[in-house]
Amino acid sequence: MAEQTVPQCTCGGGAEPEGGTKRIIFACAGASKAGQLSNEAAVQLTKEGYGNIACTASLAVSTPSIKKKVEAADEVIVIDGCPVGCARQIAERAGIAPDQEIVVTDLGIEKGGGLDLSEEDVETVVSAAWEGKGRSKTENERRPSGGCGCDGGGCC
Amino acid sequence: MVLVEVFGTGCAKCGRMIKNVEIAVRELKIDAEIRKIESLDAMIERGVMLTPALYVDGEAKVVGHVPCVEDIKQILLGEK
Repeated sequence: MAEQTVPQCTCGGGAEPEGGTKRIIFACAGASKAGQLSNEAAVQLTKEGYGNIACTASLAVSTPSIKKKVEAADEVIVIDGCPVGCARQIAERAGIAPDQEIVVTDLGIEKGGGLDLSEEDVETVVSAAWEGKGRSKTENERRPSGGCGCDGGGCC
Repeated sequence: MVLVEVFGTGCAKCGRMIKNVEIAVRELKIDAEIRKIESLDAMIERGVMLTPALYVDGEAKVVGHVPCVEDIKQILLGEK
């Protein structure tokens, strides 16, 4: 291989340099604005090279391919729309302790209000993952308080 | 004053690095100068071959990935 003579950027396609952190991202993709934001943020994070989005439904049914992807990952990131934490619960039932859990409604974004997603809201969720905001959560903080805050959208 | 240099070509990851550094400096309330360096010549001169890269007081601390805010805080506090 030729010697590298110019700086190389690690951007793009979830690619990490050799030895870099390989992250897998599970979004709840729930039937609310917050749920759909979780998915859109996971897509954006994948495009920005933060990690790779993976199928949360596959995780729920424990497909062999998803098990391999999880085993190959250094970190598991979960993005949930609301404090019910469906994606986190699916991960935990699969025996996975997420390294970071982002809850969209914890970022000041309302759960309901239609399914139109704003770029600003997507950016808020994406930034939170890059900043590592979901790492500081304690186990207690992650637990639902008893209500999902559903505003009648029928998400859960 | 701490000199914090972020080397990057202006891509999404480099932008995230700058943003996280700014948050870390603001939350720590430390006296720091943040320099964003996009010149390839400057990177080659400093030996930066993988971006984004974070240098603190001239020393390479992170190369090729974006650390989270807490990690940057630890680096700035000399704990990493």
